[in-house]
Amino acid sequence: MESNKKYWKGLEELKTTPEFVENNKGEFAESLPIEEILSDAGLKAPTPRRDFLKAMGFGLGAVTLAACQKAPVHKSIPYLIKPEEVTPGVANYYVSSYKGHGILVKTREGRPIKLEGNPACILGEGRLDAVTQASILDLYDVSKLKDPKLDGKDATWASVDTFVKGELNKIQAGGKKIRIVSSTVNSPSTNKVIADFVAKYPNTRHVQVDAVSYSGILGANQASFGRAVLPHYHFDRADVIVSFGADFLGTWISPLEFNRQYVVNRNLASLKNKKMSRHVQFEAGMSMTGTNADVRVALKPSEEGLALLNLYAVLGGGGSAPKLSNAKAATALGLVAKELLAAKGRALVVSGSNDIATQTIVNNINTLLGSYGTTIDITNPSYQYLGNDADFVTLIAEMQRGEVDGIFFLDSNPAYNSVLPKEFAEGLYKVKLKVSFSERLDETAALCNVIAPVPHFLETWGDANAVAGYYTIVQPTINPVHNTRQAEQSLLIWSDNAIKNYYQYVKNNWETSILPGAGLSWKQLLQTGVVNSGAGANAPAAASNAAPAVNAGNAAQAILAASAALAKGGESVTELTIYESVGLRDGSYANNAWLQELPDPVSKVTWDNYVALNPKYADKLGVTEFDLVEVKADNYSVVLPVLYQPGQAIGTASIAVGYGRTKAGKVGDEVGKNAYPFLKLQNGSLQNAVAVTISAAGGKRELAQTQTHHSYEGRNIIRETTFNKYVQDPHSGTGKHGEHPTYDLWPEHKQIGHSWVMAIDLNACTGCGACVVACNVENNIPVVGRDEVIKRREMHWIRIDRYYSFQDDQGASLTKEDQIGDLAEGDSTLEDVTVINQPMLCQHCDHAPCETVCPVIATMHSSDGLNHMAYNRCVGTRYCANNCPYKVRRFNWFNYWNDSRFDNYMNNEFTQLVLNPDVTTRSRGVMEKCTMCIQRIQGGKLQAKIEKRPLRDLEIQTACQQTCPTNAIIFGDRFDPNSAVSKALGNERTYYVLEELNVQPGIGYQTKVRNTTEAQQA
Amino acid sequence: MRSISLFFRSVAKSLFLVSSLSIGIHAYAQNNTDANAAAGQATSGSAAAGAPVVAAATAGDAGAGGAIFKQKCTSCHAIDRAVVGPALKGISERRDREWLTKWIKNSQALIASGDPEAVKLFNEYNKLVMTPFPELSDDDISNILAFIDAEANKPAEAAGGAGTAEGGAEGGSEQGVSDWMLGGIIVLVLVALFVILVLNRVIKTLERLLLQKQGVVVEEVESESTAVRFRRLAKNKKFVGFAVLLLVIFLGSVGWKAMWETGVHQGYQPEQPIKYSHELHAGTLKIDCQYCHFGAYKSKNASIPSANVCMNCHNYVTASDKYNGETSPEIAKIYKALDYDPQSKTYGDNPKPIQWIRIHNLPDLAYFNHSQHVTVAGIKCQECHGPIQGMKEVYQYAPLTMKWCINCHKTKDVNYKGNAYYDKIVAVHDQLKKGVQVTPAILGGIECGKCHY
Repeated sequence: MESNKKYWKGLEELKTTPEFVENNKGEFAESLPIEEILSDAGLKAPTPRRDFLKAMGFGLGAVTLAACQKAPVHKSIPYLIKPEEVTPGVANYYVSSYKGHGILVKTREGRPIKLEGNPACILGEGRLDAVTQASILDLYDVSKLKDPKLDGKDATWASVDTFVKGELNKIQAGGKKIRIVSSTVNSPSTNKVIADFVAKYPNTRHVQVDAVSYSGILGANQASFGRAVLPHYHFDRADVIVSFGADFLGTWISPLEFNRQYVVNRNLASLKNKKMSRHVQFEAGMSMTGTNADVRVALKPSEEGLALLNLYAVLGGGGSAPKLSNAKAATALGLVAKELLAAKGRALVVSGSNDIATQTIVNNINTLLGSYGTTIDITNPSYQYLGNDADFVTLIAEMQRGEVDGIFFLDSNPAYNSVLPKEFAEGLYKVKLKVSFSERLDETAALCNVIAPVPHFLETWGDANAVAGYYTIVQPTINPVHNTRQAEQSLLIWSDNAIKNYYQYVKNNWETSILPGAGLSWKQLLQTGVVNSGAGANAPAAASNAAPAVNAGNAAQAILAASAALAKGGESVTELTIYESVGLRDGSYANNAWLQELPDPVSKVTWDNYVALNPKYADKLGVTEFDLVEVKADNYSVVLPVLYQPGQAIGTASIAVGYGRTKAGKVGDEVGKNAYPFLKLQNGSLQNAVAVTISAAGGKRELAQTQTHHSYEGRNIIRETTFNKYVQDPHSGTGKHGEHPTYDLWPEHKQIGHSWVMAIDLNACTGCGACVVACNVENNIPVVGRDEVIKRREMHWIRIDRYYSFQDDQGASLTKEDQIGDLAEGDSTLEDVTVINQPMLCQHCDHAPCETVCPVIATMHSSDGLNHMAYNRCVGTRYCANNCPYKVRRFNWFNYWNDSRFDNYMNNEFTQLVLNPDVTTRSRGVMEKCTMCIQRIQGGKLQAKIEKRPLRDLEIQTACQQTCPTNAIIFGDRFDPNSAVSKALGNERTYYVLEELNVQPGIGYQTKVRNTTEAQQA
Repeated sequence: MRSISLFFRSVAKSLFLVSSLSIGIHAYAQNNTDANAAAGQATSGSAAAGAPVVAAATAGDAGAGGAIFKQKCTSCHAIDRAVVGPALKGISERRDREWLTKWIKNSQALIASGDPEAVKLFNEYNKLVMTPFPELSDDDISNILAFIDAEANKPAEAAGGAGTAEGGAEGGSEQGVSDWMLGGIIVLVLVALFVILVLNRVIKTLERLLLQKQGVVVEEVESESTAVRFRRLAKNKKFVGFAVLLLVIFLGSVGWKAMWETGVHQGYQPEQPIKYSHELHAGTLKIDCQYCHFGAYKSKNASIPSANVCMNCHNYVTASDKYNGETSPEIAKIYKALDYDPQSKTYGDNPKPIQWIRIHNLPDLAYFNHSQHVTVAGIKCQECHGPIQGMKEVYQYAPLTMKWCINCHKTKDVNYKGNAYYDKIVAVHDQLKKGVQVTPAILGGIECGKCHY
């Protein structure tokens, strides 16, 4: 039987609040003042006739004057000496890498305009995440430094070099300490440069500290295996995944890679083979990973460690743990333990905690499950995070004692993101030589006396070694725009290295150490971009035996103590978890307008951070949504608005880091509040859960949420089934009940040649938002800013809708409206929600409702199945947007590229260099929407025509498809029966959203399948 | 009715007068400029013709030598300055004739034989090998040498040549003077009209006086002042209605035409920073379009060539024979842009890009791809750009309106034969509409989104 589960976009819809009803009533988001004008007062206003004549007269005059304008003279300035590889109008691609991920950089006439994944990259396999997609915008960031600075004044490099060298020699002579503070450096060449620097100035030490730290795992692995490294996880080899607060799809360690791996056992191909992994998530806040879990259990942070101890005990690890107070979690743990044991060798347990003791227990659990050598590779570890919290504390102590006289900050901003900003600033004050290698005048650089600005990564040489055995090269694709110099180059010069040119240095380093083993030449490397010597392969199984189970006793003691401390305040305190947001991550991307406007995958909030509270818990605290509340810890407090977050554990709150920058630049300054100082240093690492008190601070601040925009009026657009039902009947949940007669108002479109369609697998979509950013970059989509988002004027062509469905206390799905009323008003905790992410974009309907209502025929159907939008024909009636059942049309309320209010992105001349020259920027007053990347379709077709060959399948990829880490989006030609999209749409799980309207959409969705066992369903 | 006919009569009279006058003036002006142009051509023609005659006087075979020189030598040699090879002025005095013949026929053999002069010369010019010309007979070589001597001895006559060249230039500038003349003529005509009017008055007065003298009583016709006449006319409703109708039709048609032509710049011919002649390069020299506009077959932009493409030829083609041994001022602009010193053959560090003025300005909202039309469709450049090989200065030949695009897309055949991309598509087309012409429009080539995105 078809499920009649109900889905809600948010609590507003669930509770049908008066505002929600009101907002959905009108044709437009804002009411038009028609009634005011037509009312008596409007019509009988004193001088409407004269005003009318004035306006007409002015209009006529203005038009006449405008028409008199002579056609402007356009200059056409060719190259004087054209580089051989450049053909104006044709893009060039270069390999490079970003944070160890291989990328292809698309350049047009010498300027990089888009990043794509390098298919040879073992982490992304040709895919990119939202952050990397957006990183190109930073190249054209106007807030960056243009010259080096000495004591706050612009200086020349020569004077900087003289000064720094002089100081270094003095420090050397005086026997004081020099420190290089950086975030994780896994670049072999940079490490070598630093080693050379240390050799020249032996008092130097390199301190690595990460804003969001993985010291817990590093410390635990030091204890368990004698190696302070992150293991290389393989989610694709796991049949049962249990995560305790690790947002591995969103932000944890290597989310792009984990997304790709995770979906391998859940996508079309896997389900076809009747195989699906199982994923159970225990967490406090609703994370992106939690939305994808088959079963999600809300659990307080103080109970997470206990739950792990319980699990360890049940799995046979010995020791006894106190029973969990959360009965639901206890039951779930029991079931999970059984499943884990049954899947020995194909199981994986991860924890998002940064506590050494907790991670030690996780290690022990994984050892019991035989995960080492199968799902966890510790012999070829990951070098993505190496920062050690304890080292940083030592550094601050050294600085405060006045032992350090020289300090260098390399890709590091402790003044903003350290847990002890005050102590850090005090210590830094005592240091004589403070050098910042920052690309902007950030919080730390502002405290330094020398700023040696570094170029963007697209302007530099470099390399990375993200995972053992896997090397990537960074090569520049544009000359440095500003007067900047690579940090490595500066260090080479300051340490009087024999090689002063960093390019030469990298080349030498590769040619002596990495390339010979790979059998590649330097030139070949610049074309392949990556070298892989064995990373990612199956690690020797022997490793599993080698992994010793550490005595869990001490760890258990530590966990129990921490847990007790956290829960000490009882009912009066709230347990706060500090997490990274998917868009801004650790805050280094805060000045990136694309990422600021990327809606959070779960809350759909843009341009702000907030205190996420369970609505029931908020009631108890006496606050309502958008109320400003003061969150107070022992030594730090912030005032932030409340966000109702279904699924949030009662008694907990969550705040994202990465906000509250004060010196990020035009875009990122004063967006949200800084949550880093909440972190607590305990047992040698930063703990991301602390006890706080929350109280109303008075006032409200509305959050710019996109989730409640564009209502579907409760229509059934999500189709879902469970794995068991799917195995019995692959059609289950699709809502198909045989053939129906259909009646068409319009004649069928004759299609010659191609029919472009798309398939989206709801089970593969994790909601990460990479497609949204990729679409922004490809299609010149404006960033509108917080206020405009509140007015529902965001311009994204593709959005990811997030739907909640609620369960009652017994875990059963609610199917009827009146039951929901009980839930909302009654004593359900609203902790049990399931979530579905649905990418929504123009469906390119064959019988498109938008086309028939356009009075000027600006939107038309094409012979290859696309719904065209001719901007220059549109007069802006917005009828089409109104008549679109999918609500995917966007209206240009402003000339975003020529309006000072939008200075943060498109209005800036320098930033405009990132625009795609093959796509027009739209003018005020016209509609726009997804074109299925028609510029790519036309380009692909032309390439085939020039080469006189038929089009190949997957040769043309839309921007969203190309970047999708999980391959959830497949685009292609329906007329080619062998195309990937034809096969995907032929799948039994396929359904079309609102197909009952017979608008014949061109995008087919595959049902969401949840691997819930009957026991947990009931 | 009477008033209207009267009005028409008077209007027709004045119209006739004005039009006949203007036609007369125009014809005169045109004759004048034509004559000037013809004179200019004649002087430059005689200057050009004069040179060979003088050369022929010094040696009978210099003419034939000149032809060979231009064909074979100018790519590396000039008379009075070093290009790739040395300057050739006075070569027959510097070198033995026999040695020269051997060298020209095969310099490498001469060097190999160990001739000290040859080896010295070879080393002096960075061991650049001169192309051997075994096909030249001894006579040919002496012809060439005669030509070189004749050219080298020309400075005296060259001064005269310069004089005629200047004359030609003056002839050109006289066309500017003709504007002044036109103004003068108009003033003259106006003065004449005034004189006629005054004379008319005088004649009338005299006539009346004469008649009065003869005793004929002249009936004083009540002369209406123009103001009164106009007022009467204005009261005539039929006339006013007619006039308004005419005005509306006139303004309407002018407005209609103006609106259709808004933003259409057919015939746009801006003055370019360098007087580059397509007539010479594409027409006379028959250089393939894509030698310079390399982008046309693989990119959306046909692209204006970069200066290094110019330098492929203009490294040594300086047209100095037309400019009295100096580099052509237009070619010198390329050198200036590149900061290139033709004497030392070095590039400086102060290059300045050439700012061409774009002629074909398609609006940003329309996407056009050259390679689609040139490579795939096989359309000749001239179909859109007109007789480019005959244009001294390029102008916009096609209107570049959407109507113009669509007309072509509706009528042209798709060039699908032998292109595997179209195989399946044409098969589908044939299934649906066998026998119907396969135009771009049929395959979706006039849909909005195909060009507007």
